[in-house]
Amino acid sequence: MNLDAAFAALADPTRRAILARLASGDASVSELCEPFAMTQPAISKHLKVLERASLISRGRNAQRRPRHLEPAPLKEIADWVDHYRRFWTESLDHLDEYLKELQTKEKKRARKKSRR
Amino acid sequence: MPAKNPVADFSAYPAEREITLTRVFDAPRALVFNAWTDPALLKAWWGPKHFTNPVCEVDARVGGAWHIVMRAPDGTEFPCGGVYREFVPPERLVFTNNSVDKQGRPMIDGLTTVTFAEQGSKTKLTLQTRGVARVDYAAAFLVGMEMGWTQSLDRLAQQLPQS
Repeated sequence: MNLDAAFAALADPTRRAILARLASGDASVSELCEPFAMTQPAISKHLKVLERASLISRGRNAQRRPRHLEPAPLKEIADWVDHYRRFWTESLDHLDEYLKELQTKEKKRARKKSRR
Repeated sequence: MPAKNPVADFSAYPAEREITLTRVFDAPRALVFNAWTDPALLKAWWGPKHFTNPVCEVDARVGGAWHIVMRAPDGTEFPCGGVYREFVPPERLVFTNNSVDKQGRPMIDGLTTVTFAEQGSKTKLTLQTRGVARVDYAAAFLVGMEMGWTQSLDRLAQQLPQS
């Protein structure tokens, strides 16, 4: 998977909307033009970006060449973000607890020393 | 460009490849920084809830590697590691981190930047993880394939009658 291409493709709201449209079923270029009120060349340009990022593929039907959503790269990206966010959030929670614990121990030790 | 028809909400999918988290710790900056680079401290807090870190090795310098094996409560081990790209005590750390998911598949690599800023007696930590392509895995895979082929060819050559 080309991660750079996938993220660049997803950064554009129109392309995200195209993906959302394809999530509800395959669609040809002309079918995609209609809801977006865009010209065919403009839509084609967006489709090319999505295709290069392996986020969509073309159907076999020679006339319509319906575009199809490829969910695997999207899932990988979503999984990655979930995984890392959870990992770091929980790790930083631990770090917070651990720093408190370390400092409490340190203070106790300092108190013992001063009593001697 | 707004769509005329209502479409499924795709905003749930992240458009950004970055995760940024900020925390203020009630501890001096030097201690917070050490907690990231001293393996004895690092192994005490690294990882999700209820995980332990039986292996924690840190070569804290630019170009040095870190390697941690996390153990889940069920005993499953998750190795992770990377290389330090920047090492500026007690202000800034940049390192790569690769890890595997629950199925043991490698995840997208992360490039993590941690900055430590003094806020009176406290420390403000900013962590930014950015997804980077798994170039290393792809390269390792290709090298492995090539080696596999070379070995097969060697074996084949040994089996062939000497002329």
